[in-house]
Amino acid sequence: MLTPAAQVTRQRGLPAGRARRKRGLGSGRGVGFVVPYLPFLVAFGILPMIYALTLAFTSHKGKFIGLKNFTQAGNDFRFGPSFEHVFLYTAVWLGTLIVFVVGLALVLHGRAGRASSTFRFLYYIPGALAGAASVLVWLFMLDPGVSPGTFLLHLFGSHLFVESIAPGHLPFIFAMIAFWTGAGGWIVVLHGALNTIPQDLEEAARIDGAGPLNIALRLKLPMIRKWIAYMVILSFATGTQLFVEPQLVNQASLGMVPDTWSSNQLAYQLAFRYGKFNEAAAISVDLLLIGLIAAVIIVTRTGLFRRED
Amino acid sequence: MRMQRRVCLAVLATALAVAGCSSSTKSPASSATSPTSGGSSSQGSPATASAGGSTSAGSSAGAGSDASGNLTVWVDAARLPDAKAYAAAHPNVHVNIVTFDGDGNGATSLQTKIQLWNKAGSGWPDVIFSEQVNDPVWMAQQPFDFAADMGKALGSGVTSQWPATSLAQCTVNGTLVCIQDNLAPVVLWVNQKLMTQFGYTVPTTWQDWAALGEKVAKDHPGYIIGTTGESFSHWIYFWGNQCPLEANVKDTSVTINVADTHCTEMASLLDPLIKNGTVPPLSVFTPDFAKKYGGANDKVLMMPGAAWYAQAVFDSTLKVPAGEITSAAPLQWGTDSPVTTGQVGGGPWIISKHSSNPKAAADFVLWSTTVFNPDPTGPDARPGLPGYGPLATSWLAGMAQNKYFAADPTPAIKAAANQIWQGWNLVTYPDQPVWSNTVVTGLVAGKSLSSLMPALGNGLSQAAKAAGYSVVSH
Repeated sequence: MLTPAAQVTRQRGLPAGRARRKRGLGSGRGVGFVVPYLPFLVAFGILPMIYALTLAFTSHKGKFIGLKNFTQAGNDFRFGPSFEHVFLYTAVWLGTLIVFVVGLALVLHGRAGRASSTFRFLYYIPGALAGAASVLVWLFMLDPGVSPGTFLLHLFGSHLFVESIAPGHLPFIFAMIAFWTGAGGWIVVLHGALNTIPQDLEEAARIDGAGPLNIALRLKLPMIRKWIAYMVILSFATGTQLFVEPQLVNQASLGMVPDTWSSNQLAYQLAFRYGKFNEAAAISVDLLLIGLIAAVIIVTRTGLFRRED
Repeated sequence: MRMQRRVCLAVLATALAVAGCSSSTKSPASSATSPTSGGSSSQGSPATASAGGSTSAGSSAGAGSDASGNLTVWVDAARLPDAKAYAAAHPNVHVNIVTFDGDGNGATSLQTKIQLWNKAGSGWPDVIFSEQVNDPVWMAQQPFDFAADMGKALGSGVTSQWPATSLAQCTVNGTLVCIQDNLAPVVLWVNQKLMTQFGYTVPTTWQDWAALGEKVAKDHPGYIIGTTGESFSHWIYFWGNQCPLEANVKDTSVTINVADTHCTEMASLLDPLIKNGTVPPLSVFTPDFAKKYGGANDKVLMMPGAAWYAQAVFDSTLKVPAGEITSAAPLQWGTDSPVTTGQVGGGPWIISKHSSNPKAAADFVLWSTTVFNPDPTGPDARPGLPGYGPLATSWLAGMAQNKYFAADPTPAIKAAANQIWQGWNLVTYPDQPVWSNTVVTGLVAGKSLSSLMPALGNGLSQAAKAAGYSVVSH
């Protein structure tokens, strides 16, 4: 009778003993790396999640009430629009993130060392601004009165700040802000991933007559697939939890952008303006589920955790 | 350049409020715990007025200078000099001052904090000043249940010195739960210099005002006679014209009827003016506005606005030169009588139910509203007309002397204070963001106000229902 792990390794054609020894060594070393993080994960990740789950299924008196909080939050007139906003935003943002980050990383990786590292640094700089600070910079960028890119704003038909932040523009504006603050970091990560591709593979491809484009698309891209999946999972979760950008624009626009623009803001408002902590928890559980489902789909489709050794 | 810096500061303040809530509330507190000598020396007159004040304020409140112990007060930036001056004048009271972002655009700072204090069962401040006039309404009700009985704290002998309209606004379910620091009736602000230059007479009715707007658009394009871009513009135009956007509030029922003639006629009056550019949908607090209409451009011919516009808007924000601006009586609708006007602001003081030092809390509110600085000018000026009658008299006397104005603006302000329409009731939910995100965004996109009224009604109803009101719409 074989253990499941041994079955898997047998199928992959590896001697069971060798695989077990390898895994045992790896996890022993891994524990050392994981332990310092564990208390933080429990205190700031797992416990709040359990608290949110309990709140979401109970009344404010602590009685179990099934899905009532979910239906009540779902019937709120702001629930639909806020999720629509967030999904449109996430779609725009993830789309640009995947295309541009992967594209730029591939282009950079094809360049000589000096130019590549200079550009990597340049791309990374906007990411050094913390979330709120970058939104402030963008508030100025979007104001035709003070923006260095006024001519661009005029091209898009915006002559006043209030026109720049018209409701239809917002998902794109927030996506743009998030892209510029987040893209640099991911370009560096993907560049690192590209560096793990063995040099001889690339050489072999070149000898076989593949040009830079073919090497990038047919060799490098499939080999960094898992890193891209990893980026998409994390970015999807961050995207659906959008809060700081619309919250600041709400205040800067003197209320023209609703304070419940995103679903996370709605949860915040429900909790703190209306005192409905349980409904707010229900929305955060909704967001957790959406993030989990997306992650499961991406993991199974891309084989993120499949070991190919 | 200066304008940009101001915007930068405002935006930074917002960012701090959002990003670093805890630190931004703690640091001013610790730094202000022991008021600096600068604060007290610039406050010479109120400190000396303290003695006289306690007699004029009436000993009926029972809270004289014998207050002592610890006192935590939450104030906005404009009320900071007041709190510092109180601390300097009352060495027996250990005053802990906390400043916060109490802006009028539906900020949730106070809701958040009170919910957390209630959950924690401790931490409540003794006194709060809010820039949002509707805050006491929810503070007096569940689940917040924060506001103490202000009538009991100050005594009826003192509170009777506030106008009836002001007390009505602070009364929730029959109890006086707050007291207004200042009154903010809407008057018609006029640029006297430009009016004379163009040969116009100051209008007395909304119809004359609108007719003048048509004329201005033709003869002096670029000049404006008002704005509709404030989050509170409906408080200016619709409150004054008795439009029931938040009326007949009884327990948890509110009337919101945008189809009422009082609403539709005002929307129809404004529409051609919004279209011809004399009443743009732009806020006076945006850099765009100041650039287009303020400072050297000096394009504001008239502007219906609150009493505190006097210097806060024309002098500090728009930099309109001295000797041009004055105020005229609130506009009348045709021949309708009596004339009613709206109100914007008039922040209230609230005492906490949970205060462990109610005596000092009452003393602080009494001092702030009846004694502190009756001077409308200077670095620690009171920006608005005091609610307390005797203090208002001296404030108006100072205002009448002010060289900034082209003519004495006080008769109009004084009269308007008693003309605020009482049919407009305050509600627990913020209605101003609804105006901003349904109407102003639509106006900016070129839609007419009349066509946006149903959306406004819908938005207000949804906000009311979400806050637990039942809505009557006829």
